[in-house]
Amino acid sequence: MTTTASTRAVVTGRKSTTPLRAAGVQRREQLVSWTFLAPFLITFALFLIWPIVHGIYLSFTDQSLTGAGGGFVGFANYAEALVDPIMWQSMWNTVWFTLLSTVPLVAIALLMAALVDRGLPGQWLWRLSFFMPYLLASTVISQIWVWIFNPQIGAANNILGALGLEPIAWLQNPDTNMLSIVIATIWWTVGFNFLLYLAAMQNIPSQQYEAASLDGAGAWRRFWSITLPQLGPATVLILILQILASLKLFDQAYQMLGGVASDTTRSIVQYIYEAGFVNYRFGYSAAISYVFFAIIVIVGVAQALVTRRKKEL
Amino acid sequence: MTPPLDLSRRQFLAASSLAAATALLAGCAPGTATGSTTQTLQFWHLLSGGDGVTMSSLLDQVNQAQDAYRIRPTVLAWGTPYYTKLAMAGAGGRAPDVAIMHATRVPGWAPGGLLDSWDLDRLAELGVDESTFPEPIWNKGIVGGQRFSIALDAHPFVLMFNTDICDAADQLDSDGRLKETSSPEEFLDQLRAVGGASDGHALSYGYLGDGAQMWRLFYGLYAQHGLAIDLPVGGRMGIDKDAAVESLRFMQSLLDGEIAAAQNDYGSAVAEFATGKSGMLMTGVWELRTMQNAGIPFDAAMIPTIYGTPAVYADSHSFVLPHQANADEGRRELTYRFVADMLKGSFGWAEAGHIPAYLPVTSSPEYADLIPQAHYAEAADHVVYDPEAWFTGSGSNFQGEFGAAVQGVLLSGDDPAAAVDRFERRVNALLAQPNPADPEGTWKQ
Repeated sequence: MTTTASTRAVVTGRKSTTPLRAAGVQRREQLVSWTFLAPFLITFALFLIWPIVHGIYLSFTDQSLTGAGGGFVGFANYAEALVDPIMWQSMWNTVWFTLLSTVPLVAIALLMAALVDRGLPGQWLWRLSFFMPYLLASTVISQIWVWIFNPQIGAANNILGALGLEPIAWLQNPDTNMLSIVIATIWWTVGFNFLLYLAAMQNIPSQQYEAASLDGAGAWRRFWSITLPQLGPATVLILILQILASLKLFDQAYQMLGGVASDTTRSIVQYIYEAGFVNYRFGYSAAISYVFFAIIVIVGVAQALVTRRKKEL
Repeated sequence: MTPPLDLSRRQFLAASSLAAATALLAGCAPGTATGSTTQTLQFWHLLSGGDGVTMSSLLDQVNQAQDAYRIRPTVLAWGTPYYTKLAMAGAGGRAPDVAIMHATRVPGWAPGGLLDSWDLDRLAELGVDESTFPEPIWNKGIVGGQRFSIALDAHPFVLMFNTDICDAADQLDSDGRLKETSSPEEFLDQLRAVGGASDGHALSYGYLGDGAQMWRLFYGLYAQHGLAIDLPVGGRMGIDKDAAVESLRFMQSLLDGEIAAAQNDYGSAVAEFATGKSGMLMTGVWELRTMQNAGIPFDAAMIPTIYGTPAVYADSHSFVLPHQANADEGRRELTYRFVADMLKGSFGWAEAGHIPAYLPVTSSPEYADLIPQAHYAEAADHVVYDPEAWFTGSGSNFQGEFGAAVQGVLLSGDDPAAAVDRFERRVNALLAQPNPADPEGTWKQ
């Protein structure tokens, strides 16, 4: 008995034989595993859980960045936020940006991936140049596009001029500034979606295409009937990632407009920032962010319910 | 034989991380004094570019002139980032000894206990009192009967003009100064004449996407009607709509594509004038250095008084005492001395274009010889600041709101009256909000 136990101890790395000792070892092992988990758990609690909890608390106070206030005000901040026209405008701007950016970011990425995967020689060069802008920091792409969109000497207006068109104040005109930010964002981030699509396309077995060709399917038929259906899971992933990224709109819009608040481009994240760090109203700022959070949760749950029902049908 | 240094790996790692930590922490320690009695004072400001260079040389000058204190400056990015950090430092009670703020931002801060007030008697002992400042600049530093800021300068919005072009257009008088105009029509005629002599436009004025630039010109013109915008706490904005609409219409008439480019941003307007392509530039005095470096022949003047009352939009860089929970008396004493030294040495600040607030500097014969600064020095007596409220001032949202409301008027010819209404609605919404520095409204003026 003892021999087997000790043999097993060697195999499993346990040296104990009695139940009492076994309990002690178990405790020590737990301690070791918690010690290894601790760095993550502490960071997680300190920088994720605590801010979320503290944010909810703040949203019920009139806490100011200046240290003043902090008294409990009940739902006053929420009541104010729900009738604040600027909050709703910012919310709509965010949704509008998401719509304007997500569709081309998926469609153009698919087109680029299809071209690179099928036809173009020198694949590595295309892959590199399509993906390269994604590696740039938001500050860098903002600078690049601020110059391109410069109303006097920018490349965009030079092109318009060459075509005999009137110059446009791209970033300054409220009719075009959101569009300008969308264009810059597409150029910046389409490479990531492109890469995901390309990887998915290259995973489609070539036998399927061969078989289809033998049956007389042309290039279009193969794309519609083989490539597109097999890209389904990749498209869902890209869509979700893209919607999440677009809803977070802040840095490029803030930087390209030089931090100036514009009614047509102010995103909800920017309004949260303005309420908290420009107007010093932490409590109100926290309340807006939880309104935004609640809306995202409602949309998410609704979407989950709808897709589940579809599957059941 | 000495035994070889025998360290285990763990000992070695422990020793080296300890050494690294010591080195890091040493960086946090307050600056070591050069002499045993020299105190280091922390000074925060937001001046970069040409202004930053000038400020550094002024600080070098005061540092070298005495041994009692040494200034350690911290420069932060202009605008919101600066004010956010300064507010948080003050809220924590561990603020720098002294800082620069725009005078227009002080009324929003004073009620929250973010600033300590200045002792007038101590300032007077150092030769700084009411008699040494132009009246509007001195009065701007008072909030609720207490003195919270001491102005270093006034930096007004002025008119720079290319002397060659204006001379060719016969718009200079016998002293070489710009001929005076006293009505909108006269000024527009003058501009058209200048336009005839210029390769490009008569005037450069950049405003696109820049609420502050639109506000600076607008509020100066509005104030020339002898009016001010009133922002009572918890009330509604007091604005004379006729005067506001008239001022906006005048701005529209400047941006007709002939007198000035219809679409210009700040940087392009400055570049246009600096390369000699336009006859005049409406800008802040802080661009003086840019023009001197560009080497063009130019002079500067107040924006012409076309609506009767001389008024110039301006702000002031001012010294404030961010709140310290346990202010050290000795350091405070030295801080007062530093501010007095800076004011007395502010002639150098004039070279950057700003009008020194300290009268003994601007009334000196050297200053009278400083051209073009001396040509707009009178602006100091006619400065008009932002209307007072917690949300106004340089780098605040208020000027951005103004820009959002009126840009369409300047860019696409929208109705000025509708824009004024829109601005009024936004400002009334802000007025209905409590001052975040004093949400309970306990601080009484």
